[in-house]
Amino acid sequence: MFPFLIRRFFQAIPTLLLASVLIFFVISLAPGDFLTPARLNPGISEQQLANLSANFGLDKPAYVQYFYWMRNMIFNGDFGLSFQYTQPVLPVIWPRIVNSVYLVLLNLVFFYAIAIPIGVYGAVRQNSFGDKAINVVLYFLLGFPSFFLFLIVIYFILQIRNATGWDIPLGGMTSGNYEQLSSLGKFWDVLSHLLIPAAVLAITDAAGLTRVIRGLMLEVMRSDYIRTARAKGVSERTAIWKHTFRNAILPIVAGIGGLLPAAISGAGFVEVVYAYPGITPMLLTAITASDLYLIAGFTVISTILLIVGNALSDILLAVVDPRIKVG
Amino acid sequence: MTTAAPTPKPQKAERRSLGQSQFSVAWGQFRKNRLAQTGGVLLILVYLLAMFAPFIAPDGLSNYSTSNITRFHPPTPVQFRDTQTGAFTRPFVFKYGQELNMDTFVNEYKPTAEQCPIYFGVRGAPYKILGFIPGNLHLFGTGQENPDCNVFLFGGEALGRDLFTRTLYASQISLTIGVGAVLASTVIGLFMGALAAFFGGFVDTVIMRLVEVISAIPYLFLLLLLRSVFPQNINPILALYVILGILAFIGWGGLARVTRGQLLSVREQDFVSAARALGASDNRVMWRHMLPTMTTYIIVTLSLSIPGFILLESGLSFLGIGAVEPYVSWGSLLAQAQEGGLSSLNQRPWVLIPGFFIVFTVGCFQLLGDGLRDAFDPRKRQ
Repeated sequence: MFPFLIRRFFQAIPTLLLASVLIFFVISLAPGDFLTPARLNPGISEQQLANLSANFGLDKPAYVQYFYWMRNMIFNGDFGLSFQYTQPVLPVIWPRIVNSVYLVLLNLVFFYAIAIPIGVYGAVRQNSFGDKAINVVLYFLLGFPSFFLFLIVIYFILQIRNATGWDIPLGGMTSGNYEQLSSLGKFWDVLSHLLIPAAVLAITDAAGLTRVIRGLMLEVMRSDYIRTARAKGVSERTAIWKHTFRNAILPIVAGIGGLLPAAISGAGFVEVVYAYPGITPMLLTAITASDLYLIAGFTVISTILLIVGNALSDILLAVVDPRIKVG
Repeated sequence: MTTAAPTPKPQKAERRSLGQSQFSVAWGQFRKNRLAQTGGVLLILVYLLAMFAPFIAPDGLSNYSTSNITRFHPPTPVQFRDTQTGAFTRPFVFKYGQELNMDTFVNEYKPTAEQCPIYFGVRGAPYKILGFIPGNLHLFGTGQENPDCNVFLFGGEALGRDLFTRTLYASQISLTIGVGAVLASTVIGLFMGALAAFFGGFVDTVIMRLVEVISAIPYLFLLLLLRSVFPQNINPILALYVILGILAFIGWGGLARVTRGQLLSVREQDFVSAARALGASDNRVMWRHMLPTMTTYIIVTLSLSIPGFILLESGLSFLGIGAVEPYVSWGSLLAQAQEGGLSSLNQRPWVLIPGFFIVFTVGCFQLLGDGLRDAFDPRKRQ
């Protein structure tokens, strides 16, 4: 396992480097350098400006600036300075990233909890009424933008709230009295805020995966070894879950890593609607303020997270599929 | 035994059945797929609706009254029956009055007894269909003699503009940007894939690495990063092109990979060697022999990736970085659902209507795309 991780780490380096080059290139395309807004700020003295300029090598050509940026990032963990917050980028964005990761993880749990049973049901009871009905509903759901479905859900939640007075959390990550709660209460408070957006997001995304699982299950169910297993008298439950399902999900497990970018991006829309303190709402304000280093920091860190996610999905694949050896 | 010369008629029929091109087979298959055809026909209707939006819409895109403020006006149901006699009359709407509810301090719209008849073919806001056919005739409206009357089929939006009008105008943007971005990304993907396969070596490595890097960055953040390069207050029409370009830029990777793989495998096949041996130029080999092997794949991916791009465009506009005023798309119309906090959403659910247009269009494109995929797939022939 360990050598495998090392190898993955070294394989990821070129991708990361190139991604950082691309990100930096895009940033330096923007008119003016990143001190332009700072020069207009009377609160920042000439001396500070000169220091910053020297620190980021702004007086030097672009490729040298890139190396300064990389150097600061790798050796000092310094992603540059955010102008909206006049603080280093990392402490500003880190809590946001953690919040988004909570949402994405819970979303993934729901995603598989919804897609797997429905997909397996569709394959086992192929062409039954339930299968067809689910197919139609899912096909319909595929057309929904996640934020639109979420707005509709919010509309119905509002109706429920008005009708019953039941206080369903609607927006944000914590309630007003969060600070006074016990640690268990805090956990439950955050979880109850996360449940609805994560579930809605999972439903919109699950439509695609369910169809894939159904197709894969059908393909495996027709294979000879399933017939052999049934002939040996294996129970229906074992035949489906142990023999068919474990083989059918292999391509999906291999694809979990590729799914993460979509999951993080999809979560972004819901974060905006829900006013959730995640990555995307902050990015949007950063764009209006052209806070470029903040945007670049978010992009670099989420790219790193993705690569980590890809490595994890490889490990998971090795766990599920004994034919694949890690290391 | 003598062989009778065959009569010309059966021969003709026979030749037709023998020499069926791939496209006529696919077309025959497509003709059998009712669902896909329905999707296609509905799409044509939606596009016609978008094209003639200025004529069908009762108002201009950005028209609103500064004296009679109709902010978040509820939809006005069209009445067909006379209130007293119950007989069918010319369709009319009730004129709405406003009144401040002293309990909640919310401005409420109430229908008054006054009736505004709806006329067909009224003169109104001037427009240009497709940018060059001028006109001021509208399909329906209340006419100009009673300016305080409004037909708000879908209600009013944040500035009191007619949501129905704006939804129709928005369809022009929403339907164009997604399709345009798919076309552009297809061209880029084909070109890059062909470059990589043709030159190999360094070019290949650079392009394939670029594809990898683009797919390694979460697409939403890459989009936001690219959008942040351009100033926020650029010309709205330019902003549309910027979004189209950005969408095309992030979308070409997958196709480039497939093109490269396909061309690399085709390059070794006999018909390409034969073409080369006959002295065909590189250009001719590429355009006449190698790229045509991709046709089916491109048609299918094209039609299947359009819905994704329409969804993405609506998402960007929803976030406020796609279509900006005075232009609207379905996504930016949905953004006003958030205005004034989410809890006010249940006072004006009609602002969600544009979203159903997205769902409808995407659904139609999916039906059409699935139909095309099945039609071109030899394993699914009936």
